[in-house]
Amino acid sequence: MQAFERELLTLLPRLRRFAHALARDPVDADDLLQVALERALKARGQWTPGTRLDSWMMRIVRNCWIDEVRSRARRARTFLPEEEGASVGADTHHEIEARVEMHAVDKAMNALSAEQREVIALVLVEGLAYREAAELLDIPMGTLTSRLTRGRQALVQMLELEAA
Amino acid sequence: MTIDDDMLMAFADGELNEIGRARVERALAEDPSLRARLDAQRRLRARLAAHYTPVAEEAVPERFRALLETGVVDLSAARAPRARPLWQSAIALAATLVLGLALGRTLLVPGAPDSGPIAVEGGAMVARGSLAEALDSQLASAQASNAATRIGVSFARSDGRLCRTFDSAAAAGLACRTDTGWQVMMTAAGSGGQRGEFRQAGGESLLVQQAAQEMMAGEPLDDAAERRARDSGWRRGGASR
Repeated sequence: MQAFERELLTLLPRLRRFAHALARDPVDADDLLQVALERALKARGQWTPGTRLDSWMMRIVRNCWIDEVRSRARRARTFLPEEEGASVGADTHHEIEARVEMHAVDKAMNALSAEQREVIALVLVEGLAYREAAELLDIPMGTLTSRLTRGRQALVQMLELEAA
Repeated sequence: MTIDDDMLMAFADGELNEIGRARVERALAEDPSLRARLDAQRRLRARLAAHYTPVAEEAVPERFRALLETGVVDLSAARAPRARPLWQSAIALAATLVLGLALGRTLLVPGAPDSGPIAVEGGAMVARGSLAEALDSQLASAQASNAATRIGVSFARSDGRLCRTFDSAAAAGLACRTDTGWQVMMTAAGSGGQRGEFRQAGGESLLVQQAAQEMMAGEPLDDAAERRARDSGWRRGGASR
């Protein structure tokens, strides 16, 4: 194993946590991590040694997740015609069942928009500074803070964390 | 003084500078409902940590380790665009500063010195009209909630001159008192302006807060010192007893 893989290996627990904070359930999260690792290994030439591998890798995980979110939305639009109706119905039913069993935190995170969810995952779960998170997502600081605030307000409400 | 959610959350995340922290702490001491909002944020952080931390602590599934060991290593892969070097963040910051300057310029009204909040005189930007008035008379500790211009913090520079940060729909900035008036040292987008994306957690631009922090000699003026400074016409050393 070369230095690149060794360093990646030490990052795996954190990357996996990040994937879990983004994806809608634990199974999807591990699939996401797998896809991201494959992409990273192929793109290793694009990483500059001496720069932070964790930020580089988190960006890849996030981009893979966004790709998945988008293709999911596309599939949902594509497969709506009548002949697919039955299977879509079954699928939806299955999803609803899974959701009932879902942990409250996963459920609340799933209810957020993708934009809110990724900033919550980076700042509140991974503990990145605002500036680091804004740089990783290529968004201005003000955009980051407003998404963060709205996402948090929604989570506090859904998880009923206001004082009684 | 009201503390909005952006600022409270930046406080909870340890993202405020000294000025911002002091402001939130003062408000927390006086306002139980603000403390309750902060507690809710702390509970949220604890809840997320309790849910996600175990994932980082459990053993990583073998398939990931195996993937890294056998590797889909493709050394022939083109050395395409390099990862973003660190100096790019410096450029991003510089770009933000240029934006601030550009915004400042749009507020200047050539040939109509009395119509804009900021005018150019002898090569320096000076506050005019309602902005000059607010800088002259408004106390940070006692301002109407609907005031068009809000004063952030007042402080003394190392040469004894008094400076104040301000924020309005049109512009935020930092001005220091000279013998003839308020010289605007820097401007940034105002929080009520169209460029809401650049609005920072403190209500006023982060750039303004940083500039104030760097220029400040000692602590910001407290309420009493600010009042003394105003009553002395903002002359040098006018904040001291």
